[in-house]
Amino acid sequence: MIRSAALAATLALASFTAIPAALAQSGKVTVVTSFSKDVTDPIKAAFEKANPGVMLDVQNRNTNAGVKYLDETRSNPQTDLFWASAPDAFEVLKSKQLLQKFTPTAEGIPDKIGAYPINDPDGYYFGFAASGYGIMWNTRYVGANELPEPKEWGDLAAAPYYDHVAIASPARSGTTHLTIETILQGEGWDKGWQTIKNMAGNFQTITDRSFGVPEAVNSGQVGYGIVIDFFAFSAQGSGFPVKFVYPTVTTVVPANVGIVANAPNTENAKKFVNFLLSPAGQEVLLEPSIRRLPVNPAVYAKAPEGYPNPFTDPRFKSMTMFDVDKSGKRTAVVDTLFDQLISFQLDDLKSVTKSIHEVEGKLKAKDNPQARALIKEARALIGAVPVTEEQASSAEVRAAFSGGKEKGARQAEIEQQWASFAKDNYAKAKAKVAEAATLAN
Amino acid sequence: MSLAFTQAPARRRRVPGTTGQIALALGLAAFLLAFLLVPVGSVIYVAFTEKGSGSFTLINFADFFRTDLFMRSFWNSAYVSAMTVVLASLFALPLAYITTRFEFRGALIIQTLGFVPLIMPPFVGAVAMQLLFGRNGSVNLLLNEYFGFRIPFMEGLNGVIFVQAIHYFPFILINLSTALRNIDRSMEEAAQNLGSSGMRMFRRIVLPLAMPGYVAGASLVFVKVFDDLATPLLLNVKDMLAPQAYLRVTSIGLTDPMGYVIAVVLIVVSVLAMWVSALALKGRDYATTQRGGGGLAKRTMRPWEQVVAYGVVGLILALVLAPHLGLLLLSFATIWSFSPLPDGFTLAHYSRVFGESSVYIKNTLIYASIAGGIDVVVGTAIAYLVLRTKLIGRHWLDWAATAALAVPGVVLGIGYLRTFYDIRLPDGTPLATMWIVLVIALAIRRLPYALRACYAALQQISVSLEEAAENLGATKPRTVRRIVVPLMMGGILAGFVTSFATAAVELSATLMLVQSNADAPLAYGLYVFMQSAAGRGPGAALGVIAVVLVAACTLLSQYIIDRNQKTTGAAR
Amino acid sequence: MNAHAITDDAAAVLHTAAVDLHIEGVNLSYGSNHVLKNVSLDIRPGEFFAFLGPSGCGKTTLLRLIAGFNTADTGRVVVGGRDISDLPPWKRDVGLVFQSYALWPHMTVAKNVAFGLEERGVKRAEIQRRVAAALEIVGLSHLAERRPSQLSGGQQQRVALARTVVIEPKVLLLDEPLSNLDAKMRVQVRRELRDLQQRLGLTTIFVTHDQEEANTVCDRIAVMNDGVVQQVGTPVELYERPANLFVATFLGTANVLEGKVVTSGKERHFESLGGLRIGIARDAVLPAEARLVFRPQVARLSKEKPASASAFEGEIMRREFLGSVIRFGILIAGQEITVDEVFHPGARAPHEIGDRVWVEIPASSALWLGPGT
Repeated sequence: MIRSAALAATLALASFTAIPAALAQSGKVTVVTSFSKDVTDPIKAAFEKANPGVMLDVQNRNTNAGVKYLDETRSNPQTDLFWASAPDAFEVLKSKQLLQKFTPTAEGIPDKIGAYPINDPDGYYFGFAASGYGIMWNTRYVGANELPEPKEWGDLAAAPYYDHVAIASPARSGTTHLTIETILQGEGWDKGWQTIKNMAGNFQTITDRSFGVPEAVNSGQVGYGIVIDFFAFSAQGSGFPVKFVYPTVTTVVPANVGIVANAPNTENAKKFVNFLLSPAGQEVLLEPSIRRLPVNPAVYAKAPEGYPNPFTDPRFKSMTMFDVDKSGKRTAVVDTLFDQLISFQLDDLKSVTKSIHEVEGKLKAKDNPQARALIKEARALIGAVPVTEEQASSAEVRAAFSGGKEKGARQAEIEQQWASFAKDNYAKAKAKVAEAATLAN
Repeated sequence: MSLAFTQAPARRRRVPGTTGQIALALGLAAFLLAFLLVPVGSVIYVAFTEKGSGSFTLINFADFFRTDLFMRSFWNSAYVSAMTVVLASLFALPLAYITTRFEFRGALIIQTLGFVPLIMPPFVGAVAMQLLFGRNGSVNLLLNEYFGFRIPFMEGLNGVIFVQAIHYFPFILINLSTALRNIDRSMEEAAQNLGSSGMRMFRRIVLPLAMPGYVAGASLVFVKVFDDLATPLLLNVKDMLAPQAYLRVTSIGLTDPMGYVIAVVLIVVSVLAMWVSALALKGRDYATTQRGGGGLAKRTMRPWEQVVAYGVVGLILALVLAPHLGLLLLSFATIWSFSPLPDGFTLAHYSRVFGESSVYIKNTLIYASIAGGIDVVVGTAIAYLVLRTKLIGRHWLDWAATAALAVPGVVLGIGYLRTFYDIRLPDGTPLATMWIVLVIALAIRRLPYALRACYAALQQISVSLEEAAENLGATKPRTVRRIVVPLMMGGILAGFVTSFATAAVELSATLMLVQSNADAPLAYGLYVFMQSAAGRGPGAALGVIAVVLVAACTLLSQYIIDRNQKTTGAAR
Repeated sequence: MNAHAITDDAAAVLHTAAVDLHIEGVNLSYGSNHVLKNVSLDIRPGEFFAFLGPSGCGKTTLLRLIAGFNTADTGRVVVGGRDISDLPPWKRDVGLVFQSYALWPHMTVAKNVAFGLEERGVKRAEIQRRVAAALEIVGLSHLAERRPSQLSGGQQQRVALARTVVIEPKVLLLDEPLSNLDAKMRVQVRRELRDLQQRLGLTTIFVTHDQEEANTVCDRIAVMNDGVVQQVGTPVELYERPANLFVATFLGTANVLEGKVVTSGKERHFESLGGLRIGIARDAVLPAEARLVFRPQVARLSKEKPASASAFEGEIMRREFLGSVIRFGILIAGQEITVDEVFHPGARAPHEIGDRVWVEIPASSALWLGPGT
């Protein structure tokens, strides 16, 4: 035992001394990213080929953990770049002064994609690929259960979809957060929440990782998933029996890259950003395992048949304008609302939704206006939100989520209020539906 | 004679330990302080601060008890932990009973296979379980096709109980088997002599005697399930305590104290559970104190008994090894979606990971063996101080090390970043970015297992064996080296294997502390693969490699333990 | 060691000059529990000395104190003129043979025996020579490569002994060495122990609760009870002149009559509480309150009333056949008196239970103990 421990210690020492040597190598750049190996590997290979002598070191973390990591390590950053999808995360980093300004050399990249500005107007982060949000489904699952193919978010609220839909928790997934925010901005605060909650009544599960949703759809554990487009495209590219649709209320937002403030290898970091935005870097995005939408319109000339092109496809022109500032202000509030009203009350919400579907089914056969009115009231109760749009971005509520800086309401207090609001409303709705059920019979 | 002592000489001060022992205790205390208490404290002190002023308060705990969600999570966690113990016992009891009580071919293989479920690689294990037992997994698809119904194995809390029981039942199996083997044969013979036999004797004599082992394993399972966040999260069960803590700590509301309040609750409940189990067993550790023995007499089974026994063992093994079978299938699968079996099979995933994974494998082996090494050294030292000295406060070392059981990996990870990031090495890189910090985090998380194993091993060594060595001129350190450690070797190796195997597949602390791909262990590689559709197969292949690797190391040390046991003979 | 003769060569290898051992004013308490009370003993060079007493009397504690495993509150232990009280166990050079033998299961017999020499940094060749000698002394040379678990209890004990004597300790301590052996082995081994001790010339302390063991092998015995040394002496001294009732009853069987000495005119006699009157010689110096103690074999039993005045009639309640003697329990004046009669094989039938017999208590062979002893 002692001998083997000593051996291990010697080994340890050997690699211990080897590491500083690797660090000393000038050509290195470290990137923190939420992208999978399938995305980073081809880009890494192309980048290292284009810049001989520079080695790209990839650290994989989910977006939120990455933000937290940069924050925790700000006193002496060991990473050079942050590279992820959600623009919100970059807003957070920017507001915490964890990014540095830069002007990329790349040309031919327009200011906007759809209605969305590609780059941060202040020059702290840059879009390199676009992604839209939509619905993916497993064709085998849908076929076996004889389910319809959806087109709009609202479709997912219909009775046949009950218990067949998955979504990631917006608090855990930057991309889902954007999806929710897109619906809220596109349909308005109150109507948006109504739509979201109507859908949520049909959720089978709410995952804690973005990839949990496509994983569940790919393996056929759930039928439908609310996902970012490339999850579906890359699954198709890998041969899974899945399809994808962009609903009309969606937006195409850029995935971004930014240079960390006080980065140890700033020069190499700049090289990486420039490469990513160059035609050579943009072309890599077309690979089957990546399938993201390049931000350089010229690159689409090399894209395969049927590849969505947000610069020419008219659908993308009509997509929602996304207000990053608005989104940034209420991020925590929206996520917490979602969790408290939906994630942690899912059983109640599902049970009342199921009853509504049943009653509505009966009403279709034999109408009863009184019952219909009750169902409408129940829907309104379900859809109700404890805070208005103004309150959601008010300083008062936001303060509760910003930690120990100011005195005021504690997050836990507010959460408990919201949770009991939802619980009471769902119970009331349930009572109304029960009443409607007796009438419908 | 008494004249010489009319002036009574000063009463001799009895020293509680030698200088070496005191230095060792201080060293261990410093180690635990630096790598456990301070980092964890740096995270959880937030739980006790008032929002805004930062002054000390307990209001956050009041919030905890006022919030429905947290109370619901608390009771769910308690329920799941308790039911997991029940289900895990149902798995473990027949295996332990059959392999120790009867002449049973393949007992060693069963004992080894019974260990394998502990080595469940993150992510891929859950995916494999879903593909087999999920709502549209192989079993349910077949059931639905032929019988028109499904069994909700993996739904909600029941799913957590099912997966956790499969994952953690080896803790009960290992402890129970050891306890059963250590029972003095005369205990059983006395019962037979007084007219007791069969199941009745098993229930009234054998089981009570094995109780300490069972309770040790069961309490470990309870605490592990109570503190585990990976399984509920992967099954998307959120209303349990550990997932709540994790979600709050890692979500955007970073400075919110509730995550840390939950962490404190987790730690308190875990320590309490260990304490209660220790209390329940106080003065009842009789299995090992008997002399002579040689374990229970093994009986040859009648033919029909053999059929039943093999049937039961086969069924349990099939169930508990199903995740690994699923993993194996997945690693060879082309596409596996909404079907009982994959569409086709391929070797491509292995060829893809083969080149890339060698660095992960190398790192994993180095990290897990150093972590295991640290664990058994520290575990042996603490066990020695607690059992063999009278140093004041020695029990605190034990309690502090055991508390590590309850510290969620992510809390430890953040604590390490906070504590060690501002300590710079000469070349300016922060200490927290050194891979050795990751290794220490892995070691600290597993220290409680290793400590228990070392503790049990030392408890079984008669003190007179050490006194004999001292009497013949060996100093304390020499005695430890030449007598104590060789005799504890079985227990030490068992502790090492447990630490090694679980460290090799640990993810939560790893994710927080891995600084570069070149330093990353297997679990991290798995995580990276499992983020994309195309990575599922290679991820599974990597998972299979991890399991095979760890299982091989386990078998090897089992073999060494066995040989060791044979050479030292049955005599203790 | 079945009648195994120790070769003089082997003994010579391990022979050392004997030293004396003094225990001076030792007190030891565990909390409020006073385990050793002002114990002082002088043990002579080469002496075979026993600590004898019932379990819990402190004898093992005292032995472990000499070995350094217990620390005295006050007092000191001096071996060969050197105070070893503050030395750790590994520097004391007092060899202890454990009751459980404490053989290390992971080492062979030879390795076990070599251990102490290795710890002392003895050269390899010398170790081999001495280990061989030690194993030869105990007659186990042929089992050197076995493991302890492969040996019988008696063999294990001899390994433990060899392991201890091989380091040539100044003092040899034996903790209940015969307790794990069967009756026949015990007799054999205790002779061998004595023989070995004589040949090696070792000052030896033997802890036992069995007075027969102590009597047969030891030069002198310290009888202990309740943490106090009751009396020190040769076996015969202790038997014939016990200092107190405890020693009298612990070493062999004794009849005790409580009572007082009564003088009436020229006559003096002892009057027991039960009313027995026994005449006493005029010149005997006795306290007024006294106990009369006599051994079973000094009383005489007869069917007819003997001439002696100190003879009493009683009924036989108990009869035990002990081989060389038959032990009777006779109820006289409400007290059972134990009397031994020599058994002659083939002789007349002994008394039966229920017989009425006469017991003669010879005052001249009795012991007198003062009150409270």
